Amino acid sequence: MAPRRSPTLGLLAGLAVTLSAVAVYSGYTIAQLRSLRRLQSETIGRNRRDSLLLLRIQNNLNSLSLAMRDMLDSSEPYPLTAWQSQFHRIRTDLEDAVRQEAMVSPSNRTSGQRDYLAVSITRFWDALERIFTLAQGGREDEARTLIRLSLQARHDALTTAVARLQVHNNESDQQAAAAAQEIYSRAERNLYLFLAAMLLLVAATSLYLVLDNRRVFRQITALSERRSELARQLITSQENTFRYISRELHDEFGQILTAIGAMLQRADRGTPANDAPLRADLQEVREIVQSTLDKIRALSRALHPIALDEVGFETALDNYLPGFEKQTGIAVRYEKMGSSQRVERQMGIHLYRILQEALNNVARHSQSKRALVRLGFEPGRVVLEVEDEGAGFGNITERSGMGLTSMRERTELIHGRIEFLNRAGGGAIVRLTAPLAATEAHAEA
Amino acid sequence: MNRRAFLLGAARALQAAPSPGFRLVDITAPAGIHFHHNSGAYGAKLLPETMGPGCAFLDYDNDGWLDILLINGMDWPGHKKRRTTLKLYRNNGNGTFTDVTERAGLAVEMYGLGVAVADYNNDGFPDIFVTCVGQNRLFQNTGKGHFLDVTAKSGLGGRTAFSTSAMWFDYDRDGHLDLFVCNYVKWAPEHDVFCSVDGKNKSYCTPEAYRGSTCWLFRNRGNGTFEDVTARSAIFDTSSKSLGVAMLDYDRDGWPDLIVANDTQPNKLYRNQRDGTFEEMGVKAGVAFSEDGKARAGMGIDAADFTNSGSPGVAITNFDNEMMALYLASSRAAFSDIALKTGIGRLSRSSLGFGCAFLDADLDGWLDLIAVNGHIDATVRNVPGNVGYAQPPHLFLNQRGTAFMDAAGQAGAGFAAPKVGRGLAYGDFDRDGDLDVLMTTNQGPAYLYRNDVANGNKSLRLRLTGTKSNRDAIGATARLETPAGAQSRTVKSGSSYLSQSELALTFGLGKQASASRLVIEWPSGRVEEHKNLRPGHYECREGDLLKGPDRY
Repeated sequence: MAPRRSPTLGLLAGLAVTLSAVAVYSGYTIAQLRSLRRLQSETIGRNRRDSLLLLRIQNNLNSLSLAMRDMLDSSEPYPLTAWQSQFHRIRTDLEDAVRQEAMVSPSNRTSGQRDYLAVSITRFWDALERIFTLAQGGREDEARTLIRLSLQARHDALTTAVARLQVHNNESDQQAAAAAQEIYSRAERNLYLFLAAMLLLVAATSLYLVLDNRRVFRQITALSERRSELARQLITSQENTFRYISRELHDEFGQILTAIGAMLQRADRGTPANDAPLRADLQEVREIVQSTLDKIRALSRALHPIALDEVGFETALDNYLPGFEKQTGIAVRYEKMGSSQRVERQMGIHLYRILQEALNNVARHSQSKRALVRLGFEPGRVVLEVEDEGAGFGNITERSGMGLTSMRERTELIHGRIEFLNRAGGGAIVRLTAPLAATEAHAEA
Repeated sequence: MNRRAFLLGAARALQAAPSPGFRLVDITAPAGIHFHHNSGAYGAKLLPETMGPGCAFLDYDNDGWLDILLINGMDWPGHKKRRTTLKLYRNNGNGTFTDVTERAGLAVEMYGLGVAVADYNNDGFPDIFVTCVGQNRLFQNTGKGHFLDVTAKSGLGGRTAFSTSAMWFDYDRDGHLDLFVCNYVKWAPEHDVFCSVDGKNKSYCTPEAYRGSTCWLFRNRGNGTFEDVTARSAIFDTSSKSLGVAMLDYDRDGWPDLIVANDTQPNKLYRNQRDGTFEEMGVKAGVAFSEDGKARAGMGIDAADFTNSGSPGVAITNFDNEMMALYLASSRAAFSDIALKTGIGRLSRSSLGFGCAFLDADLDGWLDLIAVNGHIDATVRNVPGNVGYAQPPHLFLNQRGTAFMDAAGQAGAGFAAPKVGRGLAYGDFDRDGDLDVLMTTNQGPAYLYRNDVANGNKSLRLRLTGTKSNRDAIGATARLETPAGAQSRTVKSGSSYLSQSELALTFGLGKQASASRLVIEWPSGRVEEHKNLRPGHYECREGDLLKGPDRY
């Protein structure tokens, strides 16, 4: 499998794209909101204030009209000039309203409209001025006629001018409302676009992550398989080497030493009885040879118990345990449960090695004087347990790391499961469970 | 606990509510006042029917005991069933009154609404001006127990209008009292408009339906006649729909200014320009509208120094859901409405107010505010959520100038009972040093409440008589300094609604046994100072020494 580059760079690039999309969209939304606020404060708010002021102007025009009617219907016993202060008050308020209105009037008002209002107002006050001049001169009838003919017409013109402004204001209001509507729908449309883009981006990222995960998982699986294969080959070649050395030791050196022993016996017989020093030497050499032979045999058995090849796992186990007791002084109780099933040779080797390692651990680390080996046959699987009454696993794992690793690897090779448990009341349990049928496939390694 | 015991317990709990320190005791019947207002109502619901009547405290016979004047309407032409006139009740000095209307020559039929009382001819006897629908009347006091109708002779005749409140004051400071008359709207029975409160039955209209009518100002020539200076003084304004008027010197220049309460039109503040003309300042001074810019239905009005700061504030009663206005000068030339801030706004929100007056009801040295309420139309009962046709009056006790609390309910059960209140006046009719209250109701009785102050507070009362100034000293301001602070009072006609209170001044002294200084600014411009005053009644003649105190 070709080495692939890490997905981090791609993901970072995706994140950067997402973040910039969010930033761009946020900026866009804020800009839209600002433009809406500007529209509202500049146009809609202004139109509202303008409408209020136009109402005030209209109210003033109404007051003017009422005052004019009062002047005409002659119901008051006062000269026309009495109305001057009333008109003056209305004029003050009207001019203030017109001045304020000009400041908040819609920006699209034409200068023609402005001028029309200003001219209408001026013409009205001019006419009123003439009327009061006439009235002051005692020509009240002429003044009244002028009110009827001129002032009322100018008042009408003024009313029309203000009404036009109101209509115009209303139109401008409608335009502003339409503009606001446009902004709203644009913002909505863009929100949907943004959501869609985000969805797409998230989907793409997810897909990329899924695909990459699958690739990584495949790589890991292959690596793990390769590692298992290597471990199996290593263990197999180790076993083969051990078996070879074991046979060589047993067959070659065993024969040689046996022959040397026989020759020494003959030499002893041929030695004169009185030659005591020589006989003693010979006896000593023969004992050395015998001891060496014993050691070689023991080494050979340790490297590869012949019994495993010849009589199977159970018998090898039976042979091994007494030797272990003798070597270590640990009392081993052996329990067997269930009826024996055939344990295939390769499997037997692994079970045997695991048992050896577990017991070696008991001897090396547990400080226990007793151990229990339990072998159980269940339908389709075998359970091997080694139990002691020592210190437990609390502190054992890190000290015998290699031993445990090798036990795990062998367990994996036979597709079994191994557990390292702390026994209630102190001590440790190593429990191995392995399938019996599934081992066929790995029979020949 | 049975029901009776429970009710008694509840009654005791109610009595245990904090006492305002005084009680307003209804003595109308024991005092011998049997008055019922005739509005002339026969079913057509003509606008003037719902407006009256006014009332006044005056000492027409100059015996030192306040008499009572109750204005009345009459049956409409074409619907005459009975004869009704205003009533003058003479104070017998023993807590009872005698009806002297006939004897006094006042049993004249007219559609009366309001009243203003003052000694316009400076002869030492108070004269009576009655506002009417139609022709107003001026009755001159002969000093011999009866009155002469001098309307025509004085030059006030030949004028018909829908006049409401009126006020005597000396705007040109020539020592002769001039007359200001509020006119409401242009109305005639044949032009009465159909209005409805509940959408079904005809009801009395609010004035939007009618055109405004100018107020009048009549200058006293000093020879018993009056000159119409309405136009010349620039008071003329045909847009106003005026119901109440009060005098005040808001620019503190010594010249009396005017404030007029208009119904659904901006209130007017006329600044005296010292040359016989006025300048209208209502909008500029901030009293024309409510704080949110609405022209309210101004009815009754009073101006007084309720913050003891030396500058006058103004109270105006308005329609229901409009709140009363309480304008206080926030700077030299501008007022702001502090009704909400002082609690009066919230408390008066659902009331439709008419007569109102500042008076120191508990004699603690701070002016309290009474307002009488009542709707204009009985069909308002059909409108859900409305407080009703008859409404309880307000008695706002002044909490040292910053807040008011309504103590109407604690001042006596009868006082707080709902009424269709209109006119309101105060005066010390029993000469015990505290202020009693007179009230009229539309198409109902008048009420006289005797004030029994029980908190031990003392008062100092002051009657001013002008020599160079007008004899009633209207426009004079007295400032009293006590160890607890200073208070100022102004002698005034007008104020309230259609009504007039006594002209004597009452200072509440609280628990103070003396006052250190009294400064009087007479309308003539003369300033007098008196020292070391004690509780009691003082007579003060312009340019003379104080007389008194008479103990109550």
